[in-house]
Amino acid sequence: MSIEIHNLEHIYNKETPYPQAALKGVNLTIPEGKVTAIIGQTGSGKSTLVQHLNGLLLPTAGELEVCGFHIQPLLKIKDVKQLRKEVGLVFQFPEYQLFEETIEKDIAFGPKNFGATEQEASELVRKILPVVGLDESYLERSPFELSGGQKRRVAIAGILVLNPKVLVLDEPTAGLDPQGSKEMMTLFMNLNRQAHKTVILVTHDMEHVMKYCDHVIVMDHGNVAHEADVKEFFQNPDWLLNIGINPPSIIRLKLMLNEKGFNIPNDILDEESLLKCIKGQVKSHG
Amino acid sequence: MGNFTLGSYVPMDSVIHKMDPRSKIIIMLLLMISIFIPSGIMGYILIGLFIFVILKLSKLNVKYVLRSMKPMMFMMVFLFVINVFVIKTGVPWIKLGWFSIYSDAVYQTLYIVVRLLFMIMITTILTSTTKPLDLTLGIEKLLKPLEKIKFPSHVIAMMISIALRFIPTLIEETQRIMNAQASRGVDLDNGSLKEKLMAILSLIVPLFISAFDRADQLANAMEARGYNPNATRTRYKVLKFSTMDFVGLFSSCLLLIVNIAIAYIL
Repeated sequence: MSIEIHNLEHIYNKETPYPQAALKGVNLTIPEGKVTAIIGQTGSGKSTLVQHLNGLLLPTAGELEVCGFHIQPLLKIKDVKQLRKEVGLVFQFPEYQLFEETIEKDIAFGPKNFGATEQEASELVRKILPVVGLDESYLERSPFELSGGQKRRVAIAGILVLNPKVLVLDEPTAGLDPQGSKEMMTLFMNLNRQAHKTVILVTHDMEHVMKYCDHVIVMDHGNVAHEADVKEFFQNPDWLLNIGINPPSIIRLKLMLNEKGFNIPNDILDEESLLKCIKGQVKSHG
Repeated sequence: MGNFTLGSYVPMDSVIHKMDPRSKIIIMLLLMISIFIPSGIMGYILIGLFIFVILKLSKLNVKYVLRSMKPMMFMMVFLFVINVFVIKTGVPWIKLGWFSIYSDAVYQTLYIVVRLLFMIMITTILTSTTKPLDLTLGIEKLLKPLEKIKFPSHVIAMMISIALRFIPTLIEETQRIMNAQASRGVDLDNGSLKEKLMAILSLIVPLFISAFDRADQLANAMEARGYNPNATRTRYKVLKFSTMDFVGLFSSCLLLIVNIAIAYIL
């Protein structure tokens, strides 16, 4: 079931002297089973958009259809808990949501809220730990004595343990070192490829978008500025520069090569084929 | 995002906005004292008029200020119910068997409500016409004489301004954590008492942790910039009394004296 959004509008503080329109009529279809990136500058409405997906915010106009749930203005969503179980939302810096004495208890908090027994929750926790790359020795430790990256893994495990069909991640790699963020992205890719979860990724990192995502949505001032397949999206670097996005390094390299007289076709997007192309052109030239 | 809280500073160009924060604080204190003097209906009408004039001069939206009364409704009803059962003096207005409402009960409730109303109004006017930093500067200057008896007026003022500065930040943080926990199935509105306690705990623990984190970082940042509370420092903004300040101070003093006269002499 894909996610359909029709004319979604959200205005903060609508009834006060200072209304703020965060979303101004968004129309989108987010494909099922794919990795979709939502990019855009700060304040473009990305976070507001994703908070509609699990019913944390209700639209002020328009409607959306998520996993069979219909969300529209003013209407309280029936069984909103079920929706939140289907759509797992991981906020920016999720380590700030940890609060329990032990990691086991913290991860089990979600399932218990959704009605799991102590026994079931504990089993689920043991199953989810290896998924985020932690082992059972962590169960009894306090989440507050871990490093930043480990805390984040625990917090993400707290959402994954609910086994959501759709996983929404708001800048999951912010503040992590390159190695840590690579591991984090690999984790999400595995969830997509092996567990067939729909992944929605809010990010600023174009390298990640190019490497891991299938579909790109560009937000700008509360509107969808562009929507495309990743391959197609990065084929037009001029357009990227125009909207103030720094393209991934390989695209920048291509631009520089073209400037110096090479002729690199637009559809080359990975290192290997770029290398092959350069070799071929150097040989034919020499 | 863009949380709109009552009593926050509303930037506008009015004589009240331009007044010295020191005199505004003193006027507020004088008004508070006047309100607590039992000067009867006459006195309250005078104070009410005075506040109304300030409100008009401040160019604030009257509706906006009145909105701050909303949370008071419950309080009023509560007070009224208590008073009806406790106060049995004055003229009995309604008598239904054992149940009766006496005039004093109604008057007493009205007095308390009017007092609270006035107090909320003047504090709302003060905080919406004065920038938080000016307000703390005013408090610091007013407490200055106490430094002779080793009262740390600068430290107190700094603490107040830091506290004020972090209110919106903490509200935002609370909202964020609430959203995060709601995504984990926390339901703050429904559920048994135990579930509710757990829900509140899941909110408070992260909030405290991040608040302590922030405090730590702020302290480090201040130290890194060589902050020393005991250093003598000059101000970019020097406070100065204007004619309007004297007019305000004089008229509020007069109001207080008149109130005392009504209450104790007449």
